[in-house]
Amino acid sequence: MYKPKISKRCIAVLLLFFGVTFSSLAQNTATLSIGGEVTTPLELKLSDLSSFKQVSHKVKDRDGKEHVFAGVALIELLEKAGVTTGAKLRGENLAKYLLITAADGYEVLYSLAEIDPEFTDQIILLATTKDGQPFGTGEGPFRIITPNDKKPARWIREVRSIKVAFAKN
Amino acid sequence: MRNLLKTVLTNKPGWLKASLVCAFFISCGIIQSFQGKNTEPYVLQYPANFGSRFVIPANNPTTKEGVYLGRLLFYDKALSAGNNISCESCHQQRQAFTDGKAFSTGTDGSLTTRSSMSLTNLLWVRNFFWDGRSPGLEEQVKFPLTNEHEMGQPLSESAKKLSQTTLYPPLFAKAFGSSLITEDKILKALSQFERTLISASSNYDHYLAGTFKPTTQQLRGLQLFENGPDPKRGIRGANCGHCHGGVKTFKELFHNNGLDSIAADIGREQFTGQAADRARFRIPTLRNIMLTAPYMHDGRFTTIEQVLDHYSEHIVQSPTLSTFLQDISNEAGGKNLALTKNEKADLAAFLGMLTDSSFISNPAFSNPHLVLNP
Ligand code: HEC
Ligand code: HEC
Repeated sequence: MYKPKISKRCIAVLLLFFGVTFSSLAQNTATLSIGGEVTTPLELKLSDLSSFKQVSHKVKDRDGKEHVFAGVALIELLEKAGVTTGAKLRGENLAKYLLITAADGYEVLYSLAEIDPEFTDQIILLATTKDGQPFGTGEGPFRIITPNDKKPARWIREVRSIKVAFAKN
Repeated sequence: MRNLLKTVLTNKPGWLKASLVCAFFISCGIIQSFQGKNTEPYVLQYPANFGSRFVIPANNPTTKEGVYLGRLLFYDKALSAGNNISCESCHQQRQAFTDGKAFSTGTDGSLTTRSSMSLTNLLWVRNFFWDGRSPGLEEQVKFPLTNEHEMGQPLSESAKKLSQTTLYPPLFAKAFGSSLITEDKILKALSQFERTLISASSNYDHYLAGTFKPTTQQLRGLQLFENGPDPKRGIRGANCGHCHGGVKTFKELFHNNGLDSIAADIGREQFTGQAADRARFRIPTLRNIMLTAPYMHDGRFTTIEQVLDHYSEHIVQSPTLSTFLQDISNEAGGKNLALTKNEKADLAAFLGMLTDSSFISNPAFSNPHLVLNP
């Protein structure tokens, strides 16, 4: 009579344990690649981002609640990869865009000028924490936060790759 | 020409002879590839709302001659090691190019490890197979041709067998400019045919074009399909469109749709090596879904009712379960979607609108050998 109860609870605890270890394991091994029209392709792990300046935004997410997202300004990563930003963002380089892809294949697009501080005051974030905690599965380890986008459809979760490319027509 | 060549060869100094001979063969080469370019383009027709986000490799334009050749190959058992199966064995037109089985039988009698997929609107697919491991049709088609559980024949052997027929060499010449049959040309011709398998004439398409009036039940089903449930605002929904949305009824995304707590088939993880991809599979199109049972990568559900029961009541938790399937219910605070019996019937009625009878009866997709040898 008593036994099944205990074993059920044990299973629940075990599942929880595995769930948590799974989530942190998956997040530590996940990588973000930055490639395409760059001088230095990057392959970044979560731990690599701590060397960059940390920035945060307090914004309302899809759940209607305010959260503090912290991470690195996307522009800094692009500069590190040698993307044509700042003074170089002119002429044909204005026809460059970023195609950001998530783990599930979801894709969103930004033009370079939307991200560059010489064009805009908004700092687009590659966030790594939410309210001080690493993201849960299905959201992290990397997520884009674009405060001025009213609809968070481009706040893409589980970012796996950022490709810089020329619009070709 | 021959006389000219002869004079040149006998009278001129050696280096000039050599270069002229070279020029002669080069111009032959140009003439040969020119013949290939004498082909007629095959115009792929589809509604504007399908969009044109697809890439046809520049070295394999779709031509009438290539498509016809590909169609013959699709239905030819000579491409299998035992001369006993063709692509058709697992992809039958009347079942929207599936075979009605959970697992299919290959040339050696062994079973495939996953369920056969519908070959529909492949033009727009960018990552082929249930796990999206193949980036293009020309690449993809090598797998069924050579895999031991499918047709199991080396490509070189296929090229050799076809070369020994009277049927094929002239057809390869028409499509590709030379009767020499190569592995590459076999892959290209099959891919050309596959790109033509467009299904865009279902009642759903006619409804979108304003030429079909759905029943009230079908319309209720469509609403449920597209809406996410929001019990606070009194909106009922099944949220299917979140993944199977858009006119093509799939978004090319990889998700774990809650079939198992511990997956026997790890799906996309096998390809990406990332633990977060455990049991994620490509979202398949729902076009002609009433014709393509059994369902899912392992064919575990035999009816659409079982599929709807799954999404409504039996989603299984696991660390990689899609976030789109969590905390979503038609009841405030509910743990599952909780669709009613009538709502499931409405959804099934809508899914029936995706059947395209002209697609499964289109003579351009049928077995051409039957016409050649009646
Ligand atoms: C023995 C059965 C069998 C035969 C024969 C077979 N297939 Fe398949 N086909 C399958 C199975 C099973 C899958 C799914 C495999 C997977 O996801 O790993 C599949 C998947 C496909 C896909 C992927 C569709 C998509 O949406 O990603 C294409 C395209 C395809 N087959 C084309 C062909 C062609 C062309 C031939 C003949 C050269 C062929 N198949 C022969 C069983 C077969
Ligand atoms: C989270 C995204 C997601 C949602 C939401 C979703 N599906 Fe799916 N669906 C999938 C994936 C992924 C598969 C393939 C899973 C597999 O085979 O392991 C699939 C497979 C199917 C299949 C089987 C297709 C085949 O060819 O075997 C049917 C039918 C289906 N879904 C119908 C629905 C319906 C109806 C709804 C709404 C009640 C729905 N789906 C909601 C992702 C989703």
